Amino acid sequence: MNQPLLKVENLSRHFGSGATPVRAVDDVSFEIARGETLGLVGESGCGKTSLVRTLLKLGPATSGSAVLDGVEITKASGRELHELRRKMQVVFQDPYQSLNPRMRIDRLISEPWALHPGAVPKARWREETVKLLESVGLRAEHADRYPSEFSGGQRQRLGIARALTLNPTLLVCDEPVSALDVSVQAQVVNLLARLRRERNLAMLFVAHDLAVVRHVSDRVMVMYLGKIIETGPKQSIFSAPAHPYTQALMSAVPTPDPRLRGHRKRIVLEGDLPSPANPPSGCRFRTRCWKATSICADQEPGLTARTTAPGLLTACHHADPETTR
Amino acid sequence: MALLEVEDLQVSFDTASGRIFALNGVSFSLERGEVLALLGESGSGKSVTASAIMDLVPNPPGAIDRGSIRFDGAELLQLSRKERRDLCGSRIALIFQDALAALNPVYPVGWQIAEMYRIHGRNPEGGVEKAVIDLLTAIGIPDPERRARQYPHEFSGGMRQRIMIAMAVALEPDVIIADEPTTALDVTIQAQVVDLLATIRKRSDAGMIFITHDLGVVAELADRVAVMYAGRIVETANVFELFEDARHPYSVGLLASQPRLDTDDDELVPIPGSAPNPVALPSGCAFRTRCPRAEGLCAEVIPPLETVGPGRQAACHFPVSPA
Repeated sequence: MNQPLLKVENLSRHFGSGATPVRAVDDVSFEIARGETLGLVGESGCGKTSLVRTLLKLGPATSGSAVLDGVEITKASGRELHELRRKMQVVFQDPYQSLNPRMRIDRLISEPWALHPGAVPKARWREETVKLLESVGLRAEHADRYPSEFSGGQRQRLGIARALTLNPTLLVCDEPVSALDVSVQAQVVNLLARLRRERNLAMLFVAHDLAVVRHVSDRVMVMYLGKIIETGPKQSIFSAPAHPYTQALMSAVPTPDPRLRGHRKRIVLEGDLPSPANPPSGCRFRTRCWKATSICADQEPGLTARTTAPGLLTACHHADPETTR
Repeated sequence: MALLEVEDLQVSFDTASGRIFALNGVSFSLERGEVLALLGESGSGKSVTASAIMDLVPNPPGAIDRGSIRFDGAELLQLSRKERRDLCGSRIALIFQDALAALNPVYPVGWQIAEMYRIHGRNPEGGVEKAVIDLLTAIGIPDPERRARQYPHEFSGGMRQRIMIAMAVALEPDVIIADEPTTALDVTIQAQVVDLLATIRKRSDAGMIFITHDLGVVAELADRVAVMYAGRIVETANVFELFEDARHPYSVGLLASQPRLDTDDDELVPIPGSAPNPVALPSGCAFRTRCPRAEGLCAEVIPPLETVGPGRQAACHFPVSPA
């Protein structure tokens, strides 16, 4: 019974062949339990979206495995894949591009039922559509409108309603609130939190906004250049991160409190992300790391349990919750 | 006299669905050495304010209907196009949000920075080339001699934003307008750019207008904040006062809806609804349809921006009482 809902093992996604493929996702392993929200953070180019696309089978895995509810995603095809898609649904970042502008909302919402006969009998489509719209904070009459008549926040609600049509067990949210204004973003974050409670949904919540991730996640995973460099329960990750990159990432987030100006320890990283086609040897973060020594260039650190915080796994030779900078 | 004074500025645009008023009587002033944040969400009029000051409102469809922009005693809206162009870049400079779009892809970046001197006919001490290298060094670009000969696509997003900043500060302007300069950047890169801007403001006594929707960046950089909503300024206050005891219900709502990294907050408190359609703004106060304090009066009378304390103003019939 304690089987995880999603179990990912040594998953890789490389682009291009030849001597130096772009290793967008490189040997990544993690699990998501039923009803659990796993936050995935990292900066542009770290492989978040490639990982999501591989899990949704919108692109092939190069190697490794991902098992959802007993079914191997990377090898699924035909009937099996069709069934898988019922169980995992996605909320996209851009609510303007992810809704067909020529489809009325009732058709947009019921389309998945047409593709999965037997999910909801046709006679009940209207009733179920209205129920879904209401559960995401929209109204029955919205069913007869077109996407252009909705604001960004409302469109994201529509995107969520549509993702819920087939009652998935895993909801993959790829930057679901980053296109929204702060005041509206909070509405959608609260909506996701409520739906998750009501439906015991598991979520993979991908975002670059650490504060939002802290707010919604149970556990958090930090990616850098295709690798997971630290993961753990959110309390451990946010209060005692041991990886220098996680520490730098958190210290870089500006705090909305002017009294803390100049009092916070800020780690400003030098330089930019190296190319994922030609990552540094050993630890991929070492070229920007202030703790790097020769071992970091020679040996790639694996994810190792830390005693400093419960459940924390860190991939660093010099992991230490105390920043020495 | 303030360095820059904007008064009762109204800017409108012709659109397919009617004339929209992007700015509805915006007034604020900027002092030397001060960082004023224009804080607001999409469509609130922040960027249009910058465009109006820089003479970048496209006409048609846009037009400055009324108001005044006084810079160093001179009324900008009465200057000729040529006179304004001369001011822009030399005494008032703009840092654009999208550095990739703002830089010319077919010229090396050093050439583009040097263009600032050429166009304005300046001859920096030691020559233009040296000035460019000095600037690149000052903004933290390693190996500046080589990098100056490279093209924009050879730089990362953060570096390109630095180059934009170098161009803006090249002629030591009196006013620097930064339009969401860190929005497109990752947090670690954003931190680098915020630090660079903080260094620049310490080194010069230029006034800076910092346009952003990010409360965190405001808290790090601003001295004073003007909160914008639907083409108006709804509150101005110094940065500490705004975060501690905001008076306008919109400012209060904005602060409450922001998740924090340093605490495990309970449920976020969003502002209900969404920003009004600029073609059909609500009567009276534009925020009233989302406001928990709205009453009958709010639908009838547009609240003027009134003084609610020393150095602070709010445009609300029923402002939140002091904490």
